[in-house]
Amino acid sequence: MKIAVCVKQVIDTEAVKKLDPASWRLDRSVACVLNPYDEYAVEEALRIKEAHEGEVVAVCMGPEKAEEAVRKALAMGVDSAVLVTDPALAGSDAQGTAYVLAEALRTFEWDLVLFGVRSTDGETGCVPAAVAEQLGVPLLSTLAKVEVQGSTLTVHRETEQGYVAYECPAPAVLSVIKGINEPRYPSMKGIMGAKKKPLDVKDASSLNLDVSRFGQSGAKTRVLSGRSPEPRKAGVKIEDDGTGAQHIADFLASQKLM
Amino acid sequence: MSDKNGILVVAEPKDGKLANVTLESITRASALAATAGGPVSVVIIAADAGALSANAGRYGADRVYVVETPEAAVFRPGLFVDAAMAAIRAADPALVLCAGSPDGRDVASGCAARLGAGLLVDITGLEIQDGRFVVTHPCFGGSVIVEKEATTSPAVATVRPNVFAREEAPRDAEVVALSVGFSPSSLLTKVLEVVCENAGIVSLEEASVIVAGGRGVGSAENFALIRELAVELGAAVGASRAIVDEGWVHHQYQVGQTGKTVSPQLYIACGISGAIQHAAGMQTAKCIVAINRDPEAAIFNFADFGIVGDLNVVVPALTTEIRRRKAAS
Ligand SMILES: Cc1cc2nc3c(=O)[nH]c(=O)nc-3n(C[C@H](O)[C@H](O)[C@H](O)COP(=O)(O)OP(=O)(O)OC[C@H]3O[C@@H](n4cnc5c(N)ncnc54)[C@H](O)[C@@H]3O)c2cc1C
Ligand SMILES: Nc1ncnc2c1ncn2[C@@H]1O[C@H](COP(=O)(O)O)[C@@H](O)[C@H]1O
Repeated sequence: MKIAVCVKQVIDTEAVKKLDPASWRLDRSVACVLNPYDEYAVEEALRIKEAHEGEVVAVCMGPEKAEEAVRKALAMGVDSAVLVTDPALAGSDAQGTAYVLAEALRTFEWDLVLFGVRSTDGETGCVPAAVAEQLGVPLLSTLAKVEVQGSTLTVHRETEQGYVAYECPAPAVLSVIKGINEPRYPSMKGIMGAKKKPLDVKDASSLNLDVSRFGQSGAKTRVLSGRSPEPRKAGVKIEDDGTGAQHIADFLASQKLM
Repeated sequence: MSDKNGILVVAEPKDGKLANVTLESITRASALAATAGGPVSVVIIAADAGALSANAGRYGADRVYVVETPEAAVFRPGLFVDAAMAAIRAADPALVLCAGSPDGRDVASGCAARLGAGLLVDITGLEIQDGRFVVTHPCFGGSVIVEKEATTSPAVATVRPNVFAREEAPRDAEVVALSVGFSPSSLLTKVLEVVCENAGIVSLEEASVIVAGGRGVGSAENFALIRELAVELGAAVGASRAIVDEGWVHHQYQVGQTGKTVSPQLYIACGISGAIQHAAGMQTAKCIVAINRDPEAAIFNFADFGIVGDLNVVVPALTTEIRRRKAAS
């Protein structure tokens, strides 16, 4: 089974995220990491490969430095990668990103495309469904379990109450959640080996992308203004002397929260 | 508002009812209807869609499209997109509102892709300015708040639960049955089984009150203290990542940057230090109460009301106190 796994480089959660007020784009000059959710997708892809043989290809759209995130996926055990990078891609919204990823995915064959459930900076959780639409294959998102038998996929989609089990033939687009597995750490050997693995760098023209569909000009949403919310202030703080619970109850009653 | 007509809400059926976020979206859409200059329509896609339509009218819908088929008894992404698209063609709305839930996101994203429409995700505000829809969207865990618009009509948006009020405004909604030809690729996905392991729990994202526990709870068994308080308050239960990683509670309960984003009226944090990644998922709560024995804990920097104390004492005492006050009233 040949599996593509879409990975994004995101800003480290420890870093303070800022929007550039001129372009309303995210300032990406700070520390970046592989999107934590995508580690589950990479791990799942590797496990499927290990159980059924095959190949795993990482696909990433991002600035040149996104190569670091791609190398991490390679170090974990992914076989090769495609990095789509082009200054013209900056400012793409979820739809534009999905268009570019779908076009990159059309350049090679695969049976399955895996995604993380969302990125910790884009936070839309919408790219997987949009890619599935672009490619015209079924989508199953938010998965806590993926089983492959021949070309049949059996998956568990998490719900508030438990899960729904679905069956679907490959090819398909799947997004996986935290908890589906425990992502491996890249080994020293993996990290060394990753440097030599094939990385295919593509730009907008090599993918014959339609400029009206990506980047700032192709974006179908526009930020009008941005602000920092009023920082929350520290409220009342009371040392418990045995009446703490009553204080809380009084407070809740005063706020009509009880 | 261009030549498109009003707002279409794609309903989320849930346990034989309409999800709260759907009723909230209908309420908000009706409040804007006069300015939006078009009707509020709702599409209900479910095996029992007809039975749910009265509720949509009660919250102010003018028209309810009903896609009633056994195929839609359980959520199936492609099939729900097919049905929502049929309603979009029938209603020709300027704005499509979906639930800010996993199902709603799949439907919204699928429809936006098919329509080539702008997709506004996780909105917490919706206004009309100069004849255009403008939405509010908190990003990066609420650390930046932006106003956005779509450059297309229709636009598609997902609505965060719990941010709009839910108010009845009964109307005699016109009910229109839609028959939908599902695409072959949508029918490839088959439901094998629906498993309810925790039936009856209050949904974290929709809850108006959340009681959350962190490492200070001490053990998996002791998490019962959190659950008991939650039951007394009719609240959902939340957790920090620390105790999800410990395996004390299921990761479904995790609030924060790599968990759920919640905006309840009240969030009670017990034994949670208030790390930036936890705050990212809950700092848009209207009111935060913290119980922590460390007076320097970061959570006190942004809690509205804090008790410095041992949760093993304060939490059960609070459960008892609330029970007592409820009995007395
Ligand atoms: C990439 C990344 C993503 C992350 N995502 C998330 C996320 O989504 N959600 C999340 O929550 N965290 C997340 N974290 C982890 C986060 O940084 C914190 O480590 C975590 O939130 C801490 O959990 P805690 O507050 O329960 O534990 P601790 O930080 O250990 O705090 C426990 C608190 O309990 C108090 N306490 C102890 N005993 C008692 C008692 N008897 N009575 C009262 N108080 C007591 C202590 O004073 C302390 O303040 C993430 C981290 C990273 C690096
Ligand atoms: N620029 C990108 N390159 C590769 N994959 C991406 C990119 N953006 C999003 N994804 C994938 O889509 C998932 C959901 O992201 P998002 O819709 O941004 O929350 C991520 O977990 C990734 O798997």
